[in-house]
Amino acid sequence: MMIANEIKEKIRAIVGPENVLDSDIDCFGYSYDSSFVPLVPANKPDIVVRPLTTEQVAAVMAIAHANGIAVTPRGASSGRTGGSIPLAGGISLALDRMTRIVELDEENMMITVEAGVLTGDLYNFCAARGLFYPPDPASYKYSTIGGNVAENAGGMRAVKYGVTNNYVMGLEVVLADGSIINTGGKAIKNVTGYNLTQLFTGSEGTLGIITKVLLRLIPMPKVRNTLQLMFGSLDEACATIHKMLQSGIVPASAELMDKISLQAVARHRKMEIDPATEACVITEIDADNPEGLENQAKQIEVIAQSFGALAIRIAQSAQEAEDIWAIRRGLSSAVGAMAPDRLGEDISVPRNAFPEMVRRIRKIAEKYNLTIAVYGHAGDGNLHPSVLCDLSNSDQADRVHKAVHEIFAEALAVGGTLSGEHGIGITKRPYIASALGEAGVNTLKMIKQALDPQGILNPGKIW
Amino acid sequence: MKENEQEDLLKEVHRIVSQCDRCGSCRLVCPLFGVKDIESASARGKNNIARALAMGGLQPTPEVTAAVDFCLLCRACVETCPSKVKTDEAMIAVRQHLANHQGGTSVKYKLLGTMLKNRSLVKLVAGAMGVMRKVGIQRFVPRGMIPAEYTRQQFLSAFAGPAALGATSAMSSAPVTVQTKVAYFYGCGMRMMFPDAAADTLAILRSLTQPQLVDNVCCGLPHLAHGLREDFLKLAKENIRLYEEADVIVSDCASCSSTLKHIAGYFAADPQWQERALKFSQKVMDLTEYLVKAGYQPRQRVNAKMTFHEPCHLGRGQGIKKQPRELLKAAGDFVEMAGADTCCGGAGSFHMDYPAASDGVLAKKQASIEKTNAQIVVTECPICLSQMVKAAEKSGGKFRAMHISQVI
Repeated sequence: MMIANEIKEKIRAIVGPENVLDSDIDCFGYSYDSSFVPLVPANKPDIVVRPLTTEQVAAVMAIAHANGIAVTPRGASSGRTGGSIPLAGGISLALDRMTRIVELDEENMMITVEAGVLTGDLYNFCAARGLFYPPDPASYKYSTIGGNVAENAGGMRAVKYGVTNNYVMGLEVVLADGSIINTGGKAIKNVTGYNLTQLFTGSEGTLGIITKVLLRLIPMPKVRNTLQLMFGSLDEACATIHKMLQSGIVPASAELMDKISLQAVARHRKMEIDPATEACVITEIDADNPEGLENQAKQIEVIAQSFGALAIRIAQSAQEAEDIWAIRRGLSSAVGAMAPDRLGEDISVPRNAFPEMVRRIRKIAEKYNLTIAVYGHAGDGNLHPSVLCDLSNSDQADRVHKAVHEIFAEALAVGGTLSGEHGIGITKRPYIASALGEAGVNTLKMIKQALDPQGILNPGKIW
Repeated sequence: MKENEQEDLLKEVHRIVSQCDRCGSCRLVCPLFGVKDIESASARGKNNIARALAMGGLQPTPEVTAAVDFCLLCRACVETCPSKVKTDEAMIAVRQHLANHQGGTSVKYKLLGTMLKNRSLVKLVAGAMGVMRKVGIQRFVPRGMIPAEYTRQQFLSAFAGPAALGATSAMSSAPVTVQTKVAYFYGCGMRMMFPDAAADTLAILRSLTQPQLVDNVCCGLPHLAHGLREDFLKLAKENIRLYEEADVIVSDCASCSSTLKHIAGYFAADPQWQERALKFSQKVMDLTEYLVKAGYQPRQRVNAKMTFHEPCHLGRGQGIKKQPRELLKAAGDFVEMAGADTCCGGAGSFHMDYPAASDGVLAKKQASIEKTNAQIVVTECPICLSQMVKAAEKSGGKFRAMHISQVI
């Protein structure tokens, strides 16, 4: 689809000519995200539009609506499932210039921000004032809050603090036809009409353009610390986490990584790994005072020892804690760098099914003779099996796709789901019907039809 | 042969950039993305342009050349990248590939390369620039190509008055054995733009040893960076030959020392030169690295507040971070600035090729310097120093810019 010059001129008049890109190389820059959707052939937009205000977004949407032009919203394009890839060309609507912190309401402990604010900046802004925005997807330093809300991003602190949607109180959304709505609000109790806030949260840019977000905050925990536990088996690692939770020690996060993942990180860091290590748990605890913190650390130590932990490291400084977390945050990319291609999945299962799910993944890896690194948020049952492969090898590619298919089937079989926090986007589209059923997918389609009858918003996603 | 080289370069590019997971964490630290926030300006953008080129998804157009030229090679992205994707090496390789493809690099870089390849021409230009400085017409030459040099003498008369603490001579404390043959590497940038600072470097070296003066040729970084790899290799061989007698090669330019240290890597597969190149690279030391090893003590301590701009080729290029700061702490009132290791936007000829972007990057550096209230910003690379001089001028005299040899 080509966009006529006169339409481009109208758009330039709205956002300013310098905020419209249409050269081939510039458009190429907006053709990819951090998913395994191939870079070539590129899914280039016809034009990149970078609005600064909600009104500009609304005006651009009105033009797109009137001319049937596809619009794919985009934050930092750090997503893992192709959500911001403009599959149908048209407009890549980059919201990264909308970086205003609109209001901090300290009394109600809520903050209103524009969609392009980096989640890391939001976190720091709040933290400087003793307030806490907990959701922390691994990309939080460079991903945008708009993208986090659109994908309903999770993160490592989900086990104790929940995910993005647990903090979204309201949204400003530009609809497909360019009209602007506000959903939710600052009232904690609010049952007026459908809960559109939660409908748009996680809608992956297919129902409207999220331009502002109202988030609730909580007081910043006074003290926190990080522990790193090494185990000789995945079962012992999982058992330790479950025992902690059952004993009332709810860690802010409990991350688990298998041996392959550990080796991936070790390639880039000075890390010595005991060859007997099969699993590593990184867990963050927080409390209101140092005694409470120490108490938790001791209890965790005792539990970990009872399950035969090989090594227990309690961070002695903020720097050491940061160093330990850097291992986890860099993990996804480090694993990805181990092979020409990586199919990273994001299945989520009931917490107690975590070890069983890992066993089933191991069996699938053996069956298809593939290397699959497994890591994830053991505290909440969200796993990221990463199939390391070379898709240019057609025999291997075939085995990979079969393996991924079986991983999804097994995840559903143990009572889980396709995606915990990355969204469906392009990459998990083929599997959605098996997760939701035909009637379930039809319900999504009916909602889409009601809000975007022309299908111009992020076409080609979710189903 | 040529075709093989082209394929090898693309393979090299692909090997590096296929490690990029496109997470975008580099966008936080890329100085150019900081002043031009569109994807193709970021490290992620350029790596993926290179990847698409290697995969046949993009054609080698002038647009592609312009995109990969728009990189400071500062390695800030490499440091922050979870997979340590070497953007700088990928850009150098892809520039070489594009230059070969287009039947050679652009006229601009060819001219620069030819000039720097030629010892006599470099000296000639250095002389001309010196004359222009003396008669004060360097102001009329654009883009700070001939920065005004603030000399050590001026520095001492300004800061080493009655308030200065006693000057100490460090001659005796240097644990340099008599046998160590130290040779100086006189970089083109130092020669052409900051000859007075280079003279101070020699004075410092003479207080420790008897430095050999070698009529060296260019380190070859400008050639390597702009698709003139053959020239780079020729220059490297010439320098290897020239310094065979020396035990230690000291340079007061971070870009030179970093490049010379990396020469070995380029001859790793050349049985004839491999060993000599390795030996050569292992002998190279950055000035402050050598001085700290030799136990040098600054000649004086002054009451000036000083901050340090860390050249990319020093900190990320050679891992030298502590040494210059240690020396500055002994020489005066040292204060660390925020983002000291962020590129200043100089980057070889980048500041002349992309003045607007370079000025944007430099403006941030200037703000950082001003925030420290330092009177002097010190650095150790002539391109950085010419940028610092520019920043000092723009600050309206809030601070001065000096080479480290002039203050220690």
